Amino acid sequence: KLGPYINMGAVDAQVRLELQKEFDEIQKVQKEIQKSAELQKKLDSQLNQNTVVKDELEFLEPESNVYKLTGPVLVKQDLGEAKGTVSKRIEYISAEIKRQETLVADLEKQLNKHKESVSKIQAKATAVAH
Amino acid sequence: QGQEINLTTLQLPQLKMLHDQFDSEIEYLTSSMQSLKGAQTQFESSKRCLLKSMTPENEGKSVLVPLTSSLYVPANLVDTNKVLIDIGTNYYVEKNISEAEEFFKRKSDYVKQQMEKFQPILQHKFKTRQLIVEVMQTKL
Repeated sequence: KLGPYINMGAVDAQVRLELQKEFDEIQKVQKEIQKSAELQKKLDSQLNQNTVVKDELEFLEPESNVYKLTGPVLVKQDLGEAKGTVSKRIEYISAEIKRQETLVADLEKQLNKHKESVSKIQAKATAVAH
Repeated sequence: QGQEINLTTLQLPQLKMLHDQFDSEIEYLTSSMQSLKGAQTQFESSKRCLLKSMTPENEGKSVLVPLTSSLYVPANLVDTNKVLIDIGTNYYVEKNISEAEEFFKRKSDYVKQQMEKFQPILQHKFKTRQLIVEVMQTKL
């Protein structure tokens, strides 16, 4: 994405090499950010689904019959146990979402660092050219 | 976000980028709305089916149960007051007819509410995209 802003013909080979290295890094980081964003979307929808189920379970009378589908079989499950399972899932998914968020924040920091080095290299190159 | 941009101050490539961004947002929202609509239809049809078929006078009648979309087996309707409802993530709950009806109504209302929340946002995005197109045309 940063490529077009630079007149490649005007910079010497050394600078070009340095820039290319930074661009490659930027691309790598961007790809990872995208990957994490996709994962977050999936986790979000899982969290949503489980929250809906949790709300529904909370809504039930204590003596309600709850079944869990395991393979092709419906197995009767204790309401408290079902609530516990879903709560635990929600906990796990929330933690995973948080983990992905910190990961992206970190990746974005890296991205900015690489972008800064690009500006520095460019500034140096123009200074030499003048 | 929250900050106003005067579209006329933007260059054509920037406008194009903005336009594409709105395009993908609109596409995403439209498909979300469609899934919500589909979900609502399903809840409504389940509710209708429940009220129409699960009646005391239908108890003991024979029915054909679909095992796949093209394979049916004969069965008897034994209990017209109890149903199993899929509440998601592989959990099923036994409910009587009025509880089940309430469940479907609740779900359907919730989905409707979500749709009503998204509708104005979508409308606004459509309008903004139109505006961007108009500004682009003046710059061509």
